[in-house]
Amino acid sequence: MTATAAQLSAPASSTTPLALAITGFGVLSGAGIGIEALASALAAGHSPTADVSGMFEDPLPRRDAHALVDFRVRDHLGRKGTSFFDRSTSLAMVACEEAFADTDLEVGDASRDRMGITLGTTAGSAKSTSDYSRDTFVQERPYLVNPLLFPNAVMNCAAGQAAIRYGLKGVNATIAGGHLAMLNVLRYSRNLIGCGYADALLAGCVEEFSPQSAWAVHYAQRTDGGRLAPGEGAAVFVVESAAAVRAAGRRPDAEILAVETGVYDPPGADGTFVAGLTSCLARALKRAGVRPDEVTAVATAANGMPRFDEAEEAAVTAVLGAGPERLRVKDLTGEAFSASGAFQLAALLARHRTQPARDGELSVITTLGADGAAGAAVVRGWSRADGDHG
Amino acid sequence: MAITGSAMTTCLGDLDATFRALLEGRSGVGPLRCGDPEKLNVRNGYVITDAEPDAPHLADSPRLAARWLARTVADALADAGVDPARRRVAVVVGTGLRELRAVEQWYADGAELRLAQLHFAEAVRSVAPEVTEVHTLANACAASGYALALAADLLELGEADAVVAAGCDTMTESMLAMIGRVGTATADMVRPFDADRDGVLLGEGAVAVVLERADELRDGQRPLALLRGVGVGCDAHHETAPDPTGIVATIRDAHDRAGVTPDEIGLVVAHGTSTALNDPTEAAALLETFGADGPVVTGIKGAVGHTSGGAALMSLLIAVAAMDAGLVPPVVGLRMPIAEAAKLGLVYGEAVPTRARLAQVNAFGFGGVNAVTIVEACVGAPLGGPS
Repeated sequence: MTATAAQLSAPASSTTPLALAITGFGVLSGAGIGIEALASALAAGHSPTADVSGMFEDPLPRRDAHALVDFRVRDHLGRKGTSFFDRSTSLAMVACEEAFADTDLEVGDASRDRMGITLGTTAGSAKSTSDYSRDTFVQERPYLVNPLLFPNAVMNCAAGQAAIRYGLKGVNATIAGGHLAMLNVLRYSRNLIGCGYADALLAGCVEEFSPQSAWAVHYAQRTDGGRLAPGEGAAVFVVESAAAVRAAGRRPDAEILAVETGVYDPPGADGTFVAGLTSCLARALKRAGVRPDEVTAVATAANGMPRFDEAEEAAVTAVLGAGPERLRVKDLTGEAFSASGAFQLAALLARHRTQPARDGELSVITTLGADGAAGAAVVRGWSRADGDHG
Repeated sequence: MAITGSAMTTCLGDLDATFRALLEGRSGVGPLRCGDPEKLNVRNGYVITDAEPDAPHLADSPRLAARWLARTVADALADAGVDPARRRVAVVVGTGLRELRAVEQWYADGAELRLAQLHFAEAVRSVAPEVTEVHTLANACAASGYALALAADLLELGEADAVVAAGCDTMTESMLAMIGRVGTATADMVRPFDADRDGVLLGEGAVAVVLERADELRDGQRPLALLRGVGVGCDAHHETAPDPTGIVATIRDAHDRAGVTPDEIGLVVAHGTSTALNDPTEAAALLETFGADGPVVTGIKGAVGHTSGGAALMSLLIAVAAMDAGLVPPVVGLRMPIAEAAKLGLVYGEAVPTRARLAQVNAFGFGGVNAVTIVEACVGAPLGGPS
């Protein structure tokens, strides 16, 4: 029996999951780099797409995307050690850097041994993998592929590179969760901290803009009459045990009170899809001990396709009513697959950051995927009155 | 935590066939059947061949790891007598490259491929539609060890009544091209810890175990083995090169979790990839942990190749089979150990008898991710290996 987990198995019953605290985060999205950029876009209710037609030589399905066209990793992390980073790794690393700068968690040599990374993805860097595979087919014989680039083609590249840069020797996991990735990451993080594998984690998701992802968004949206532009970026959160943070006299930015996920039959006319999200949402509220009328905002999946969005709205209304404000984060950040859930969480926290009137407010994140994946998380957030940890 | 069912598929066949071959020192290495050996600079591989003769049309179909995964998950559930329709069963799949080979074939050969086939959920649900959740951990060659750790957590936290931990991979042309570039020569086979080794070769296959809470077993049900603990960690050292400090830390974490001391471990199934980066590093870490009079050490990649996502759990099932049979198979392909491993209790040449009840299973992956498992044989289990 896993000894540490066994000690926890009694109190950590299935109805009282460990609450996670977020004590800092970093975010890069199509809305810009940093928390303020996302908060401003949210307040304005609009974030323009950028002209991406000059980014790649390969053809693109459209000229615009919620992409960070001028992003260069060396502008943020310097040249040393970054020259072989692909775009996914670069975005994730800068989000990690910002998260460290934002938290009051003191990271020393001892704590690094007890700190890890959980990173959500759809399929790693599809561009790196495709480029490497293409090299395999088109290079002179024997295939003179560059072995230095191979690690980029492995799905867990970004998490490994982040561990190296920050010396984080705890659990290091990459979760291929697609749309559900951020909720999977939060569940996994809760297990890791609750079962004693780590004291703190960098937990987040990353998705890069590339011709491959642009076409993937194009075909996915076209299937159901959507017009969302592709997006990219990363959001990484410093997560710890909420009880431990409070016991140390520290103040979290947010607490994740519950996360529930499921995969149901793909959306159909029979309403099963609505039932799946309804079930996740109701279960999440129950586990969090939260009444529906206490929820003030819902950061929805907002997939941009009428059939999905109507199903989502029906589920949210069924559980929470029409009252809570709806935040359609994807309208600001585009379709960024696994990173979208991370942007929803980042948007809620960004809104709290400078608005003390919202302190203690409860919000919900909802997720829906075309394959029937559904999920919900309950989040309680706080401001930083002085703009920083007080 | 009880392991109540298992199944695996390697180039040598199922678990029994693979264990028999290991005891006899046989290797499943053969001519590569993926890509052009001339171009790849790789001649050999550990290929599953018996999965296709009944379906010649599959020559044009993508080579899906999920095909083997589905069968092993179904077999493991049947072996455990666990019915997902009656109990909450979650599935955690560890993989290195997921279905990249199928994407390559779709891209280069025009093989038909649906997007949903890239997710393991479809394959798992094709044999067990009622499972509550299917997760994919992309943790390179330590992936199924990480999957096992998460499986144990899900049970401990009451999120499931039984969890299937699985691993699978197939070989890709791009991975083979990389191996062809970094290999010192064209290796004839994987020779873990051998002084005259030429590097790693790929294997393929799938493996699954069913975990249940030990205190919830049905009357008269005897588990295959007990999972004592899984240590997971990261070197945070180099993207591809392992680091002894990180490996030792993960081994110690595993011992702490399992509540065991190094002298209680009777058998180690090493990661042993036959590369210049892994073998000396792993040998140094084992010596630091156990000293010169440590337990016997074996490894399976000379027989089944490097199976990436499945590697950790395949080694675990061989460890259990060895303890049950009272025989530790030799490291197939090993002739003369490297100097760094001379003081290890490496088994080579022929199988040796063992009375070990506790085994340690190592798995390390790109990104410096490590998973070390401690597994206990069930006292009184019948000889001849779990079936």
